[in-house]
Amino acid sequence: MPLRPLRIVLIVAGAAVLGLCWNGLSGRGFALTQNAYLQEGDVEVDAAEARTRLDQGALFLDARPVAFYEMSHIPGAMPLPEDDFDRAFAKIEPRLRSTFDIVVYCSGFGCEASHLVARRLKERGIPAIVLAEGWPAWTDAGYPVKEGPRP
Amino acid sequence: MRWLRHPALYWLVSIGLGAVFVYASFDKIAHPQDFARIVYRYRLAGPTAGLGVVPANVLAVVLPWIEGVTGVLLITGLWRREAAALAGGMLVTFLAAVSYVLWQGIDVAHCGCFTVGGEGRGAGWTLIASDLGLLLAAAYVVLVRPQAPSPVTSAAVPAS
Repeated sequence: MPLRPLRIVLIVAGAAVLGLCWNGLSGRGFALTQNAYLQEGDVEVDAAEARTRLDQGALFLDARPVAFYEMSHIPGAMPLPEDDFDRAFAKIEPRLRSTFDIVVYCSGFGCEASHLVARRLKERGIPAIVLAEGWPAWTDAGYPVKEGPRP
Repeated sequence: MRWLRHPALYWLVSIGLGAVFVYASFDKIAHPQDFARIVYRYRLAGPTAGLGVVPANVLAVVLPWIEGVTGVLLITGLWRREAAALAGGMLVTFLAAVSYVLWQGIDVAHCGCFTVGGEGRGAGWTLIASDLGLLLAAAYVVLVRPQAPSPVTSAAVPAS
């Protein structure tokens, strides 16, 4: 008896319906339009809001590996790479503790570093918000960037 | 190679393959958002600026159910060969995904094969080897026709 492709299509379609229903109704699901890196307690702002905060003197933190920071970054931002957090944090801790408005960003969509850094700061009693979609959102909006290793 | 067509072997391989797929679906079904994070790391379905997050999220929500349903069909024997073909298709996709991240040097850290939390297995050569083994099992279930039960067994059924 040959394979019946329609059955395969039906299995996939049935499983898709089950999966989407389970996600919507079980209480274990999550919003499909939301970045899965986002957890309860995280605060995100879009690029326009971040720009306003920058103009008002917010401190920006670059959570990407430091090599990216040294190529280019948001003007005034300090490097706080997720992969070298403790060392970088120790260096700028006094500055962070005296700042009330902190925005963290990383490489964008597939990048969890900004969320991780913001949570680590929160654990240490320093509130920080995340720039949604990170660096590409900032550059796509045509906002200023600074090249080189200095803030 | 007559032993390959032995019904007991065929039955055993189908159920074994089905059990692996059902087991693989549990943790992912229980924690869809954690599985979505793993899907992101493969960078195959996004998220990117063009695609957004929705395709990767939908894949994370739907794929474990396809695995689970396929596994149940393989165990129960309903639409068994179609389910095995689908399992084979998924395994080829997984092999392609793992080869892609190995080739690109992407550190997936946790392959998301059976669990989504804790210290997971990375994407490496042993993973490729076990996927190939499962693919062989799926091909066996699709291609081999088990022998009809022997006349002795048939005769044991009382005639009504």
